[in-house]
Amino acid sequence: MSTAKVDPITRAAIDWMLRLESGQACPSERQVFKAWLAEKPEHMAAWQRVAGVLKAPVAELQSVERRSPGQLQAARRALLAGTSPAGKKALQGGLLVLLLGLGAAGLVDRVTPLSGLMADQHTATGERKTIELADGSLLTLNARSAVDIEFTDGQRRVHLREGELQVDVAGDAKRPFVVTTAQGQVRALGTRFMVRQGSDESLASVQQHSVQLDTLGGQQRRIETGQAVSFTANQIDPQTPTSRSQTDWLQGRVELHDESLAALVEALRPYQTGMLRISPEAARVRVFGVFPLDNTAQTLSALTQTLPIKVTRYGPWLTLIDVADKKQTNAN
Amino acid sequence: MPTSVDPKRLLASLYHDNHAWLRGWLSRQVRCPQDAADLTQDTFLRAYDAQQLERIQEPRAYLSTVARRLLCSLWRRRKLEQSYLEQLADLPQAYAPSAEDIALVREAIEAIDRVLEGLPSRVKRAFLLNRLEGMPQQAIAEQLGVSLATVERDLRRAFVHCLSQAGQPL
Repeated sequence: MSTAKVDPITRAAIDWMLRLESGQACPSERQVFKAWLAEKPEHMAAWQRVAGVLKAPVAELQSVERRSPGQLQAARRALLAGTSPAGKKALQGGLLVLLLGLGAAGLVDRVTPLSGLMADQHTATGERKTIELADGSLLTLNARSAVDIEFTDGQRRVHLREGELQVDVAGDAKRPFVVTTAQGQVRALGTRFMVRQGSDESLASVQQHSVQLDTLGGQQRRIETGQAVSFTANQIDPQTPTSRSQTDWLQGRVELHDESLAALVEALRPYQTGMLRISPEAARVRVFGVFPLDNTAQTLSALTQTLPIKVTRYGPWLTLIDVADKKQTNAN
Repeated sequence: MPTSVDPKRLLASLYHDNHAWLRGWLSRQVRCPQDAADLTQDTFLRAYDAQQLERIQEPRAYLSTVARRLLCSLWRRRKLEQSYLEQLADLPQAYAPSAEDIALVREAIEAIDRVLEGLPSRVKRAFLLNRLEGMPQQAIAEQLGVSLATVERDLRRAFVHCLSQAGQPL
């Protein structure tokens, strides 16, 4: 038995990590956790130490996994191969466990544990959620999304940490309703609109009335019904309406008119527990149709009936999409 | 420390007196002359880094202890590398990683292995499922066929293990 000791604050931080990751923590507990973090700099430091355990090598494995799927699993198996004297036997039982793992999707969250864990509201892979806010506004989160909600006397503010939301704003002339992202803020002008936080840009589209966009770098624009823009801190780019700016995900589907298969795969990703990888050739295949989001396996296998692609699954952790006949497209 | 003997000179004399002996001892352990030479150098470097050269009473006992530890760690790395390469052979050809990526994975595996060394296999497995794959505690309990409380205890123990050795060599 290991007698290794850590100080009581670190121990408390470990307890918080386990509690918050258990999936059982309620919003009030998150508030207590936030207060604990803010209470002393030592608390934050201990939390960062705990969250930093294995962070660097795991991030490394993840980056390789993106380029060459399967590396994560290979690494895991190698690490467990030598664990016990009965290694071989244990490994065979363990293999099944490993194959059933959640794969890279869980890993992406793992690299920035603060994001999802500390958010006031978040959705898991494949989960959508509609929340009625204190003012009567309806906030819907797409899968794998996280927001912080902050209502004061002067302002109603929702910070989108990651993912995608749509909000149906209840009128309140005294308190503007604002959605903030890493790149800027979108203020409702009596409205229904959608905001998505991408990896290095945001996207806003308006379904009703209009919104006022202010980027961090001071760019401004009013966006009207039916319009969509993507924005960074210093630039606003109008988008032609595509599946990316539509809100069909609210009904659990995505609709594409002559878009790339890559666009469909992007929409499916938050709903797929394992890793979804598409070859450059398959990414260019054009797609028409309406596709359900909630059963990605079924959607993908239905696609193989109508498109010149093949879908290969390596257990739930990895699904590869490629063109059906590589020779035809690989003329070089 | 102005009063102590210059550690570089101590190292030089330690090296002079014991280098051939240590290399001979290591050669009998590893059979590969290159490995023996590398391990010999590493052992002296390790002894120098420890900065306690003047306190060494039995140089050969000390050096062979350090060398034995390095040897174990080399074997461990080789075994890990071997297991990893065996796994690579099972992957579809089209997704073979580049040489650089293989090197990155090997480093990451070694780093993780070093941190988790000494933990029982069930604890290690639970922790890897949790940290690498983001598997929730309840799911781990079901996979491993143990109670939720056991999984929590295992994860807590693994965190304590990792945090209590952070920053220590070997």
